[in-house]
Amino acid sequence: MTVKLRFFARFRELLGTDIIVEPHDGTLLAALVAEVARKNTDGYAAIFDEQGTFREFVILMRNGKRVETAEAGTITVADGDEIAVFPPVAGG
Amino acid sequence: MLSERELERYKRQILLFGNDGQERLKSSHIFIAGAGGLGSPVAIYLAVAGVGTITVVDMDTVEQSNLNRQILHYDRDIGKKKTVSAIAKLQEYNPDIIINAIDTTITADNIRRLVGQADGIVDAMDNYPVRYLLNRVALEMKVPFFHGAIRGFYGQATTIIPGKTPCLECIFPRAPPKEVFPVVGVTPGVIGTVQATEVIKYLTKQGELLVGRLFIWDGLAATSEEIAIEKNPVCPVCGSGTGTELPAGMMR
Repeated sequence: MTVKLRFFARFRELLGTDIIVEPHDGTLLAALVAEVARKNTDGYAAIFDEQGTFREFVILMRNGKRVETAEAGTITVADGDEIAVFPPVAGG
Repeated sequence: MLSERELERYKRQILLFGNDGQERLKSSHIFIAGAGGLGSPVAIYLAVAGVGTITVVDMDTVEQSNLNRQILHYDRDIGKKKTVSAIAKLQEYNPDIIINAIDTTITADNIRRLVGQADGIVDAMDNYPVRYLLNRVALEMKVPFFHGAIRGFYGQATTIIPGKTPCLECIFPRAPPKEVFPVVGVTPGVIGTVQATEVIKYLTKQGELLVGRLFIWDGLAATSEEIAIEKNPVCPVCGSGTGTELPAGMMR
Protein backbone atom coordinates (compact mmCIF):
# COMPACT_ATOMS: atom_id res chain seq x y z
CA MET A 1 0.00 0.00 0.00
CA THR A 2 0.99 3.60 -0.51
CA VAL A 3 0.66 6.41 2.04
CA LYS A 4 1.60 10.04 1.59
CA LEU A 5 3.14 12.02 4.44
CA ARG A 6 2.98 15.77 4.33
CA PHE A 7 4.98 17.90 6.72
CA PHE A 8 4.36 21.60 7.21
CA ALA A 9 6.38 24.66 8.28
CA ARG A 10 9.44 23.80 10.41
CA PHE A 11 8.78 20.09 10.07
CA ARG A 12 8.93 20.54 6.32
CA GLU A 13 12.28 22.34 6.51
CA LEU A 14 13.75 19.43 8.43
CA LEU A 15 12.07 16.48 6.76
CA GLY A 16 10.83 17.56 3.34
CA THR A 17 7.25 17.03 2.27
CA ASP A 18 4.99 14.88 0.15
CA ILE A 19 6.88 11.75 1.14
CA ILE A 20 5.47 8.59 -0.36
CA VAL A 21 5.95 5.50 1.76
CA GLU A 22 4.90 1.88 1.32
CA PRO A 23 4.16 0.55 4.78
CA HIS A 24 3.23 -3.02 5.59
CA ASP A 25 -0.36 -3.87 6.42
CA GLY A 26 -1.10 -3.10 10.03
CA THR A 27 1.44 -0.29 10.34
CA LEU A 28 0.41 2.13 13.05
CA LEU A 29 0.11 5.83 12.27
CA ALA A 30 2.49 6.92 15.05
CA ALA A 31 5.09 4.34 14.02
CA LEU A 32 4.93 5.45 10.40
CA VAL A 33 5.47 9.12 11.24
CA ALA A 34 8.32 8.19 13.61
CA GLU A 35 9.99 6.02 11.00
CA VAL A 36 9.97 8.78 8.41
CA ALA A 37 11.00 11.44 10.93
CA ARG A 38 14.00 9.40 12.06
CA LYS A 39 15.86 10.24 8.86
CA ASN A 40 16.67 13.60 10.43
CA THR A 41 17.59 13.86 14.10
CA ASP A 42 16.35 17.43 14.46
CA GLY A 43 13.19 16.60 12.55
CA TYR A 44 12.46 13.69 14.86
CA ALA A 45 13.21 15.78 17.95
CA ALA A 46 10.90 18.54 16.70
CA ILE A 47 7.95 16.13 16.53
CA PHE A 48 8.68 13.58 19.27
CA ASP A 49 9.92 13.94 22.83
CA GLU A 50 12.62 11.86 24.54
CA GLN A 51 10.09 9.12 25.32
CA GLY A 52 9.13 8.88 21.66
CA THR A 53 5.66 10.35 22.13
CA PHE A 54 4.32 13.17 20.03
CA ARG A 55 5.08 16.61 21.41
CA GLU A 56 1.85 18.03 22.77
CA PHE A 57 1.41 20.85 20.25
CA VAL A 58 1.82 18.64 17.15
CA ILE A 59 -1.26 18.45 14.96
CA LEU A 60 -1.90 15.27 13.06
CA MET A 61 -4.44 14.95 10.28
CA ARG A 62 -5.46 11.88 8.32
CA ASN A 63 -7.26 12.57 5.06
CA GLY A 64 -8.23 16.02 6.29
CA LYS A 65 -9.56 14.82 9.65
CA ARG A 66 -7.88 15.55 12.93
CA VAL A 67 -6.39 12.58 14.76
CA GLU A 68 -5.50 12.96 18.42
CA THR A 69 -1.79 12.27 18.68
CA ALA A 70 -2.46 10.16 21.77
CA GLU A 71 -4.53 7.82 19.61
CA ALA A 72 -2.05 7.61 16.73
CA GLY A 73 -0.42 4.59 18.36
CA THR A 74 -3.60 2.57 17.95
CA ILE A 75 -4.67 3.59 14.44
CA THR A 76 -3.46 1.62 11.44
CA VAL A 77 -2.85 3.37 8.15
CA ALA A 78 -4.67 2.38 4.99
CA ASP A 79 -3.80 2.45 1.30
CA GLY A 80 -4.13 5.95 -0.15
CA ASP A 81 -4.03 7.72 3.21
CA GLU A 82 -2.68 11.23 3.28
CA ILE A 83 -1.15 12.10 6.63
CA ALA A 84 -0.40 15.74 7.51
CA VAL A 85 1.91 16.65 10.38
CA PHE A 86 1.72 20.27 11.34
CA PRO A 87 3.20 22.56 13.98
CA PRO A 88 1.20 25.68 14.78
CA VAL A 89 3.32 28.78 14.33
CA ALA A 90 3.28 31.42 17.05
CA GLY A 91 4.94 34.61 15.83
CA GLY A 92 3.18 37.85 15.11
CA MET B 1 -23.12 59.79 5.91
CA LEU B 2 -19.97 59.86 3.87
CA SER B 3 -18.47 63.27 3.23
CA GLU B 4 -17.49 64.46 -0.24
CA ARG B 5 -13.91 63.90 0.74
CA GLU B 6 -14.63 60.34 1.87
CA LEU B 7 -16.54 59.57 -1.31
CA GLU B 8 -13.49 60.67 -3.24
CA ARG B 9 -10.98 58.91 -0.99
CA TYR B 10 -12.79 55.57 -1.18
CA LYS B 11 -13.99 55.91 -4.78
CA ARG B 12 -12.17 52.86 -6.08
CA GLN B 13 -13.42 50.50 -3.36
CA ILE B 14 -16.94 51.89 -3.39
CA LEU B 15 -16.94 50.37 -6.88
CA LEU B 16 -16.58 47.03 -5.07
CA PHE B 17 -19.00 47.30 -2.19
CA GLY B 18 -20.98 50.46 -2.73
CA ASN B 19 -21.76 53.35 -0.41
CA ASP B 20 -23.49 50.93 1.94
CA GLY B 21 -20.35 48.88 2.35
CA GLN B 22 -18.28 51.98 2.92
CA GLU B 23 -20.77 53.23 5.51
CA ARG B 24 -20.50 49.88 7.28
CA LEU B 25 -16.73 50.22 7.43
CA LYS B 26 -17.08 53.75 8.75
CA SER B 27 -19.46 52.76 11.52
CA SER B 28 -17.34 49.79 12.62
CA HIS B 29 -14.84 49.40 15.42
CA ILE B 30 -12.03 46.87 15.11
CA PHE B 31 -9.73 45.88 17.93
CA ILE B 32 -6.16 44.94 16.93
CA ALA B 33 -4.13 43.12 19.57
CA GLY B 34 -0.53 44.05 18.80
CA ALA B 35 1.25 46.70 16.74
CA GLY B 36 4.11 44.50 15.56
CA GLY B 37 4.70 42.40 12.45
CA LEU B 38 1.09 41.40 11.87
CA GLY B 39 -0.47 44.42 13.56
CA SER B 40 1.33 46.83 11.23
CA PRO B 41 -0.15 45.72 7.89
CA VAL B 42 -3.52 44.94 9.49
CA ALA B 43 -3.78 48.44 11.03
CA ILE B 44 -2.51 50.22 7.93
CA TYR B 45 -4.87 48.47 5.53
CA LEU B 46 -7.89 48.82 7.80
CA ALA B 47 -7.08 52.50 8.30
CA VAL B 48 -6.78 53.26 4.60
CA ALA B 49 -9.92 51.21 3.90
CA GLY B 50 -11.82 53.55 6.21
CA VAL B 51 -12.69 51.38 9.22
CA GLY B 52 -14.15 54.17 11.36
CA THR B 53 -12.63 53.28 14.72
CA ILE B 54 -9.49 51.25 15.25
CA THR B 55 -8.11 50.33 18.65
CA VAL B 56 -4.54 49.08 18.78
CA VAL B 57 -3.03 47.70 21.96
CA ASP B 58 0.68 47.15 22.48
CA MET B 59 2.97 47.45 25.47
CA ASP B 60 6.33 47.51 23.71
CA THR B 61 8.85 50.13 22.70
CA VAL B 62 10.18 50.26 19.15
CA GLU B 63 13.56 48.52 18.85
CA GLN B 64 15.95 48.44 15.93
CA SER B 65 15.43 44.69 15.53
CA ASN B 66 11.70 45.29 14.96
CA LEU B 67 12.22 47.32 11.83
CA ASN B 68 12.68 44.46 9.36
CA ARG B 69 8.97 43.71 9.60
CA GLN B 70 7.01 46.17 11.75
CA ILE B 71 6.27 48.66 9.02
CA LEU B 72 4.24 51.03 11.18
CA HIS B 73 7.50 52.02 12.85
CA TYR B 74 10.40 53.91 11.29
CA ASP B 75 14.04 54.25 12.20
CA ARG B 76 13.33 57.60 13.86
CA ASP B 77 10.84 55.87 16.20
CA ILE B 78 13.42 53.70 17.96
CA GLY B 79 12.90 54.17 21.69
CA LYS B 80 9.31 55.45 21.32
CA LYS B 81 6.32 53.50 22.55
CA LYS B 82 4.77 51.54 19.69
CA THR B 83 1.40 53.06 20.49
CA VAL B 84 2.78 56.59 20.00
CA SER B 85 4.41 55.61 16.73
CA ALA B 86 1.31 53.72 15.53
CA ILE B 87 -1.21 56.44 16.25
CA ALA B 88 0.90 59.04 14.40
CA LYS B 89 1.28 56.91 11.25
CA LEU B 90 -2.30 55.70 11.15
CA GLN B 91 -3.68 59.19 11.62
CA GLU B 92 -1.47 60.37 8.78
CA TYR B 93 -2.65 57.54 6.58
CA ASN B 94 -6.23 58.50 7.26
CA PRO B 95 -7.23 61.60 9.24
CA ASP B 96 -10.93 60.78 8.80
CA ILE B 97 -10.96 57.85 11.22
CA ILE B 98 -10.59 57.47 14.97
CA ILE B 99 -7.49 55.69 16.27
CA ASN B 100 -7.18 54.57 19.87
CA ALA B 101 -3.75 53.30 20.81
CA ILE B 102 -3.46 51.80 24.27
CA ASP B 103 -0.09 51.16 25.89
CA THR B 104 -0.70 48.16 28.11
CA THR B 105 -0.33 44.41 28.47
CA ILE B 106 -3.47 42.44 27.66
CA THR B 107 -4.50 40.39 30.69
CA ALA B 108 -7.54 38.42 31.81
CA ASP B 109 -8.38 41.35 34.08
CA ASN B 110 -8.37 44.16 31.53
CA ILE B 111 -9.23 42.41 28.26
CA ARG B 112 -13.00 42.99 28.31
CA ARG B 113 -12.55 46.67 29.06
CA LEU B 114 -9.94 47.01 26.30
CA VAL B 115 -12.05 45.27 23.67
CA GLY B 116 -15.14 47.23 24.71
CA GLN B 117 -17.85 47.24 22.07
CA ALA B 118 -15.56 46.35 19.17
CA ASP B 119 -17.16 44.59 16.20
CA GLY B 120 -14.23 42.22 15.73
CA ILE B 121 -10.88 41.24 17.22
CA VAL B 122 -7.73 40.83 15.16
CA ASP B 123 -5.05 38.51 16.49
CA ALA B 124 -1.71 40.20 15.89
CA MET B 125 -0.05 38.72 18.94
CA ASP B 126 3.16 36.73 19.15
CA ASN B 127 2.13 34.24 21.83
CA TYR B 128 -0.64 31.74 22.49
CA PRO B 129 -1.55 32.62 26.10
CA VAL B 130 -2.87 36.02 24.96
CA ARG B 131 -4.37 34.50 21.81
CA TYR B 132 -6.36 32.13 24.03
CA LEU B 133 -7.62 35.08 26.06
CA LEU B 134 -8.67 36.93 22.91
CA ASN B 135 -10.39 33.79 21.63
CA ARG B 136 -12.40 33.42 24.84
CA VAL B 137 -13.48 37.04 24.88
CA ALA B 138 -14.46 36.91 21.21
CA LEU B 139 -16.65 33.89 21.98
CA GLU B 140 -18.14 35.57 25.00
CA MET B 141 -18.91 38.78 23.10
CA LYS B 142 -19.97 36.87 19.99
CA VAL B 143 -17.69 38.86 17.71
CA PRO B 144 -15.41 37.40 15.03
CA PHE B 145 -11.80 36.62 15.82
CA PHE B 146 -9.35 36.96 12.94
CA HIS B 147 -6.43 34.66 13.71
CA GLY B 148 -3.00 34.94 12.15
CA ALA B 149 0.47 33.70 13.10
CA ILE B 150 3.82 33.47 11.39
CA ARG B 151 7.30 32.00 11.62
CA GLY B 152 10.07 32.38 9.09
CA PHE B 153 8.52 32.16 5.64
CA TYR B 154 5.45 30.34 6.99
CA GLY B 155 2.14 31.70 8.10
CA GLN B 156 -1.35 30.59 9.01
CA ALA B 157 -4.70 32.34 9.24
CA THR B 158 -8.33 31.54 9.89
CA THR B 159 -11.50 33.42 10.74
CA ILE B 160 -13.38 32.31 13.82
CA ILE B 161 -17.08 33.06 14.06
CA PRO B 162 -18.47 32.29 17.54
CA GLY B 163 -21.09 29.55 17.50
CA LYS B 164 -20.39 28.65 13.89
CA THR B 165 -16.76 27.71 13.45
CA PRO B 166 -14.18 25.90 15.53
CA CYS B 167 -12.57 28.21 18.07
CA LEU B 168 -8.82 28.71 18.43
CA GLU B 169 -8.58 26.12 21.18
CA CYS B 170 -10.44 23.55 19.05
CA ILE B 171 -7.75 24.04 16.41
CA PHE B 172 -4.71 24.49 18.63
CA PRO B 173 -5.45 23.02 22.04
CA ARG B 174 -1.84 23.36 23.12
CA ALA B 175 0.61 26.14 22.39
CA PRO B 176 3.93 25.53 20.69
CA PRO B 177 6.97 26.32 22.83
CA LYS B 178 8.09 29.92 23.20
CA GLU B 179 11.05 30.97 21.10
CA VAL B 180 12.69 33.97 19.46
CA PHE B 181 11.16 33.18 16.12
CA PRO B 182 12.96 33.89 12.85
CA VAL B 183 10.98 36.08 10.48
CA VAL B 184 11.31 38.14 7.33
CA GLY B 185 8.90 41.05 7.00
CA VAL B 186 7.12 39.82 3.91
CA THR B 187 5.57 36.91 5.85
CA PRO B 188 3.54 39.02 8.31
CA GLY B 189 2.87 41.19 5.24
CA VAL B 190 1.13 38.25 3.54
CA ILE B 191 -0.72 36.96 6.59
CA GLY B 192 -1.63 40.43 7.93
CA THR B 193 -3.19 41.37 4.62
CA VAL B 194 -5.13 38.09 4.58
CA GLN B 195 -6.48 39.02 8.04
CA ALA B 196 -7.31 42.58 6.96
CA THR B 197 -9.04 41.21 3.85
CA GLU B 198 -11.17 39.01 6.10
CA VAL B 199 -12.12 41.97 8.30
CA ILE B 200 -13.14 44.04 5.29
CA LYS B 201 -15.16 41.16 3.82
CA TYR B 202 -16.87 40.53 7.14
CA LEU B 203 -17.79 44.18 7.66
CA THR B 204 -18.97 44.77 4.11
CA LYS B 205 -20.62 41.34 3.82
CA GLN B 206 -18.65 40.36 0.74
CA GLY B 207 -17.46 36.98 -0.45
CA GLU B 208 -16.73 33.81 1.46
CA LEU B 209 -14.94 34.08 4.76
CA LEU B 210 -11.96 31.93 5.69
CA VAL B 211 -14.08 29.84 8.04
CA GLY B 212 -13.78 26.17 8.92
CA ARG B 213 -10.39 26.03 7.25
CA LEU B 214 -6.87 27.00 8.12
CA PHE B 215 -5.00 28.88 5.41
CA ILE B 216 -1.33 27.96 5.34
CA TRP B 217 1.22 29.99 3.44
CA ASP B 218 4.63 28.57 2.58
CA GLY B 219 6.62 31.47 1.21
CA LEU B 220 9.68 29.34 0.50
CA ALA B 221 7.77 27.00 -1.79
CA ALA B 222 5.40 29.81 -2.90
CA THR B 223 2.42 27.59 -2.18
CA SER B 224 -0.68 28.03 -0.10
CA GLU B 225 -2.81 25.22 1.24
CA GLU B 226 -5.86 24.73 3.34
CA ILE B 227 -6.53 22.32 6.14
CA ALA B 228 -10.15 21.64 6.99
CA ILE B 229 -10.73 22.29 10.68
CA GLU B 230 -13.53 20.99 12.86
CA LYS B 231 -15.07 21.86 16.18
CA ASN B 232 -13.82 19.82 19.06
CA PRO B 233 -17.02 18.63 20.76
CA VAL B 234 -15.20 18.48 24.08
CA CYS B 235 -13.32 21.77 23.61
CA PRO B 236 -12.85 23.27 27.10
CA VAL B 237 -13.76 26.70 25.72
CA CYS B 238 -16.56 26.28 23.19
CA GLY B 239 -17.55 22.61 23.58
CA SER B 240 -20.81 21.54 25.14
CA GLY B 241 -21.32 22.16 28.84
CA THR B 242 -18.34 24.45 29.25
CA GLY B 243 -18.14 27.91 30.65
CA THR B 244 -16.13 30.81 29.33
CA GLU B 245 -14.60 31.84 32.64
CA LEU B 246 -11.26 33.41 32.00
CA PRO B 247 -8.28 32.00 33.81
CA ALA B 248 -7.17 33.98 36.85
CA GLY B 249 -3.88 35.12 35.35
CA MET B 250 -2.77 35.81 31.85
CA MET B 251 -0.75 32.60 31.70
CA ARG B 252 -2.62 29.37 31.31
